[in-house]
Amino acid sequence: METILNLDGVSMSFGGLKAVDDLTFDVTRNEIVSIIGPNGSGKTTTFNVISGLYEPDSGDILLKGESVAGLRPDQVHDKGIARTFQSLRLFSNMSVLDNVLVGMHSNSKSGLVASMLRLPSVRREEAAMRARAQEILSMFPGRFSGPRQSQAAGSLSYANRRRLEIARALASDPVLLLLDEPVAGMNPMESHELMEQICDLRDAGYTILMIEHDMHVVEGVSDRVIAMDHGVKIAEGTYEQVANDPLVVEAYLGKRSAHTAS
Amino acid sequence: MAAFTQTVRSAFTKVPRWVYLTAAWVLAALFPVLNALDLVQTAWIRVGVLSLLFALLALGLNIIMGETGLLNLGYIAFFAFGAYTTALLSSPKFDLHWPFAALIVVSALVAMLGGFLIGLPTLRLRGDYLAIVTLAFGEIVRLTIVNVPTLTNGPNGITGIDFLKPLGPGVTARLQSAGLPQAVSNLLTIDKPTEYYYLVLVCVALGALLLSNLKNSRVGRAWNALREDELAAVSSGITASRMKLLSVLLSSAIAGFAGSLYAYYSNVISPESFIFMQSVIVVCMVVLGGMGSIPGVILGAIVLQALPQVIRESAGAARSEFEVYRMLVFGVIIVAMVVLRPEGLLPDKLWRGQAHEADPRELERTRQTLFDLEEGEQDLEA
Repeated sequence: METILNLDGVSMSFGGLKAVDDLTFDVTRNEIVSIIGPNGSGKTTTFNVISGLYEPDSGDILLKGESVAGLRPDQVHDKGIARTFQSLRLFSNMSVLDNVLVGMHSNSKSGLVASMLRLPSVRREEAAMRARAQEILSMFPGRFSGPRQSQAAGSLSYANRRRLEIARALASDPVLLLLDEPVAGMNPMESHELMEQICDLRDAGYTILMIEHDMHVVEGVSDRVIAMDHGVKIAEGTYEQVANDPLVVEAYLGKRSAHTAS
Repeated sequence: MAAFTQTVRSAFTKVPRWVYLTAAWVLAALFPVLNALDLVQTAWIRVGVLSLLFALLALGLNIIMGETGLLNLGYIAFFAFGAYTTALLSSPKFDLHWPFAALIVVSALVAMLGGFLIGLPTLRLRGDYLAIVTLAFGEIVRLTIVNVPTLTNGPNGITGIDFLKPLGPGVTARLQSAGLPQAVSNLLTIDKPTEYYYLVLVCVALGALLLSNLKNSRVGRAWNALREDELAAVSSGITASRMKLLSVLLSSAIAGFAGSLYAYYSNVISPESFIFMQSVIVVCMVVLGGMGSIPGVILGAIVLQALPQVIRESAGAARSEFEVYRMLVFGVIIVAMVVLRPEGLLPDKLWRGQAHEADPRELERTRQTLFDLEEGEQDLEA
């Protein structure tokens, strides 16, 4: 299988704190990989390094063999990595539809003057973008139908905002989709529904790297799981392998005392 | 009573938006007719010209402030660039008399260059810092104008700016000597308030059309995204520095264009037209009209520019004593508007309600309703 993403010895520290320490892993095409780990273990920092918000201190990040380390976030997005945020970052005062259209920024090219004059080429591009946005929004049946598309994104319910963030990231047809805690704050039914939709995305050909705390979801969707603690990868493998790894258990529950061990 | 206001309100909202907009443009176009019929004094046409010039200026500021979300407290400097470029190149000062068509372009370009110079180093700044730097920039430009008399005549300003001849002085002179009827040849020189009124009205209408096209385009959405959340915007592939610079350049070009028209119209320009207070007033026009709303911004400019005159006139006989309190009344009206209608006179539809302080209980209730709705939907599906 083709390797999509390749992290090679990536380190990132803030002052004296090593948030990510010599991290190496691969993601291959059409795979869902989950990163788990306790709070502060460097999961989101890893995402920020991949998506260009931070420049790694050392190591390299390759997307389809091409280095993206040190590029600006918009350049990384152009190369084909789109992401969502753990703390929702929608354009609240813009409509639901416009949020998705912004996601297509790098796939379109109408310039300032052409847009002002509304030239035929601009109209054509706009019509094509709107059609594609409808397709993407319809991946969440019934959630963004009809009048809801012209509502401000900030007026949506929490779960719908999470869905809209995913739609915005999908709008650019990314090579790799980064989802940062996609089901956080959802009720069990909603998270189950989203879980199925994430699997559908894989079946549609997307490659997904995901941070998730909900073990039910991690178990349900992941082809592979990576566990992190204190910036270091402590385990990698199938869900069963990682969940039973003594280092992972220790990271979550603490060291078993000598007394109970014996 | 409540039912009555409800009925009235729904009757107003039933009329489509374009009807209101068309009516507003038609009224604006008919305004000078009242003057021709002697119902309105020529002084009011002059107020109209200035109001429309400021509407153009406010449209320009709205691009950077309303659409891109970058505060600019020195915006009047770009207006000054345009005005001084036109004044220097079409007055006895250096005995240059460039044609109108060339000057309007050059004035916009000079203002754009100013925008580029201030934009490049400040694009990383946000909020308070940007406000301070742009404020300083505006003052630097004004003080430079005051203190370089060899170029700008200092505080005396530049006088004797050429008449506005749309076809240029050469062609106009030739056409006039070719024996055109007086009525036609008069139209070749724009010098009456009514003629200026229509010229600027056409510019505002064109500006509004082009900018509303832009608002609903890829570029406009990128600006809005940067305003809403820069981090999410750059993570969606928007190059922040490029898009912000584009926004600064366009808004300064519009100010330069408006400045050029202003120089022709007023015939005399001096640094006191470009003081900090003017920048603040343009910001007020955008905020009170409704940030990001094109009709709102135009209305805001007209209201704020015309209001001081209306207040003075309405004082009637007591005019001279009232003069002192004119700005006080003006201030009170502005404060009242900000308190009662913080989203602006004609707000952008998605911004409505955002400006008002939200009652936490109300928010909780809305959230609950939304939640219930979602649950209901799911139950239906199940």
